[in-house]
Amino acid sequence: MKVEQPSDPPLNSCVDQLVVPGDTVLDLSTMSNQTIKLGEGLRQDSDKISVMKAGKLRLSKPNKYWVESSHKRYVPCVEDTILGIVVDSKPDNFLVDIKGPTLAFLPVLAFEGGTRRNIPKFEVGTLLYVRVVKANNSMNPELSCTDASGKAAEFGPLKDGYMFETSTGLARMLLSSPTCPVLEALGKKLSFEIAIGLNGRVWVNASSPATTVILSNAIMKSEFLSGTQQRIMVEKLMQKLQ
Amino acid sequence: MEQRLANTWRMTVNEKKFIETALLSDLRVDGRRPFDYRKLTIKFGREDGSSEVQLGETHVMGYVTSQLVQPYRDRPNEGTLAIFTEFSPMADPSFEAGRPGESAVELGRVIDRGLRESRAVDMESLCVVAGKSVWAIRVDLHILDNGGNLIDAANIAALAALLTFQRPECTLGGENGQEVIVHDPEVREPLPLIVHHLPVAVTFAIFDEGNIMVIDPTYKEEAVMGGRMTATLNSNGDVCAVQKAGGEGVMSSVIMQCLRIASVKAADITSKIKDAVDAYNTERALRKVKRHPPSVALEVSVPDVIMKENQVDELSRHRAQNLKDEPERSCSNDGTSIGVEISTSRGKNNAFIGGPSSWDPYSKGISSCFIRSSQDLPGPLYLAKEQEEAKISQNSIESDPEAANTLSSGPVGASVASQQANSPKSLKDAVKPKNRKKNKASSTSDMS
Repeated sequence: MKVEQPSDPPLNSCVDQLVVPGDTVLDLSTMSNQTIKLGEGLRQDSDKISVMKAGKLRLSKPNKYWVESSHKRYVPCVEDTILGIVVDSKPDNFLVDIKGPTLAFLPVLAFEGGTRRNIPKFEVGTLLYVRVVKANNSMNPELSCTDASGKAAEFGPLKDGYMFETSTGLARMLLSSPTCPVLEALGKKLSFEIAIGLNGRVWVNASSPATTVILSNAIMKSEFLSGTQQRIMVEKLMQKLQ
Repeated sequence: MEQRLANTWRMTVNEKKFIETALLSDLRVDGRRPFDYRKLTIKFGREDGSSEVQLGETHVMGYVTSQLVQPYRDRPNEGTLAIFTEFSPMADPSFEAGRPGESAVELGRVIDRGLRESRAVDMESLCVVAGKSVWAIRVDLHILDNGGNLIDAANIAALAALLTFQRPECTLGGENGQEVIVHDPEVREPLPLIVHHLPVAVTFAIFDEGNIMVIDPTYKEEAVMGGRMTATLNSNGDVCAVQKAGGEGVMSSVIMQCLRIASVKAADITSKIKDAVDAYNTERALRKVKRHPPSVALEVSVPDVIMKENQVDELSRHRAQNLKDEPERSCSNDGTSIGVEISTSRGKNNAFIGGPSSWDPYSKGISSCFIRSSQDLPGPLYLAKEQEEAKISQNSIESDPEAANTLSSGPVGASVASQQANSPKSLKDAVKPKNRKKNKASSTSDMS
């Protein structure tokens, strides 16, 4: 919301602030010889860098800038790890729903040691932990159940447990390091497995249904709470359990 | 096509298994117990007959309108009631604009049956001219967000809207006395509908081949359930309607148990609806009370004094005059408004200066009876009085000695007297001598 004066080094003061489309974040005429990498939500208009999406301006040293926002929809990005649901199977691909604008293709051979002989059989509704390999806005995205080197690395179908949907912002918060306060507090008292997809899907698995229900509700409620509030909420939940 | 495929909500195998497993241990995914309702919020719009109900994530809006129509031939002296449902595409990706789908028709039918068969809304009072002209009540239900259990939420929205709806009053008139004149709401108070009882719908979802029943299913539970049953009851325990369209078979003992649980829930929901409607009606009534302009409000702090001053003739005369001018003000019940009313006359008095007693043969008498009551008058009057005293000094010679006399008896008395003397001037044009006599007589009777 601040229109920066050309005399200031404006980018640094805008970092971690809320910006809206139309904000001018940087005036290139004042900058000396520097290379700046622009991520999503930023755009170069001749001499100015302006904002295209509403969100928080983020910086990754030394020179990567981007705008981070939270949505209920997912825009596929290469190298994202997401949770998909199998919708259909074709001879060459599985059709997988990833909460994006189109369905994604998962090639039947994109598994560790995958050959024509041992194609996995997924029924409709299977939950998969996958990686995005190709993502253009004109084509259906392509997925893979292996990492870049071809190993399985935890990708593949998820058994049992419970899946719920959240916003992309919450998913990123859960994946942040150091560990998100709510997950840390829950992990101290309960033991569970969790898989977080950057498309806003979260899967949890615990030994008893009651634990799973508590986990899912605690995570869903923690989206707009600060760190201390999250810890307090988990404390209260644990007390109720006992 | 591709877009619609991508937008459809899908259920995973994991979720289905988990919901069923959790229910075996009486646990629901949002932490509720099997027979708990979600949080219910009932709100009303600015117009009469519009309600907005939120049951957890489900959001439904109800809107009631009325129209004069010809009655059905076989029921010439009854009004009509019709329910229309609109499943907005913003509520659910599977809802489409245009003709209502199967679930939309079923929802409309269940709510309609609950209201009509149980005769919850009195139809005969909606008749204006038998055989020619009756009121047709139309209830529109818009589904804004599908979070599960649309039937219950839509039913509550319909009931809340019907309870707050008011139809215009109409009378017969015209040349031959057969014409129906519909009165404007500003001219005649509109009338509420006569609702005898509230039929509340309670929906049960059936799991595990008819063994497990849960109340108020969420969207995910509805996707997993084996069947559904809706029971419409009122708080008296009467069963108004039961709907079970297909799905898993359920034993009759389970159905009886569900009806018993439903009657408890119906009583609970009825009280919530009634509380919300009462709060809305009180707020609406308060809105209708016409308030005085803010400049008068300063005087409100002197209600006690003013009551005593009533005994004084002049003021009571003015009050009677004011009362005639503004009947609405006198209608309001609370004491503050009466106090305000009188203070307006006092306000008017303050504005007037002049030779008061030259035309007023009763002034001496008034001032004497004023002196009697003057001892009772407390402090706050002094402020106004001092202003009056300043004015008095400029008055005609006649008033001066009088004022001087009263001044000697007590400053309060003087100012009030002069005030009373001043006030008649404002009403001089309006008040005829005859009226003064009448008011004086009435005021003397007041004093006694």
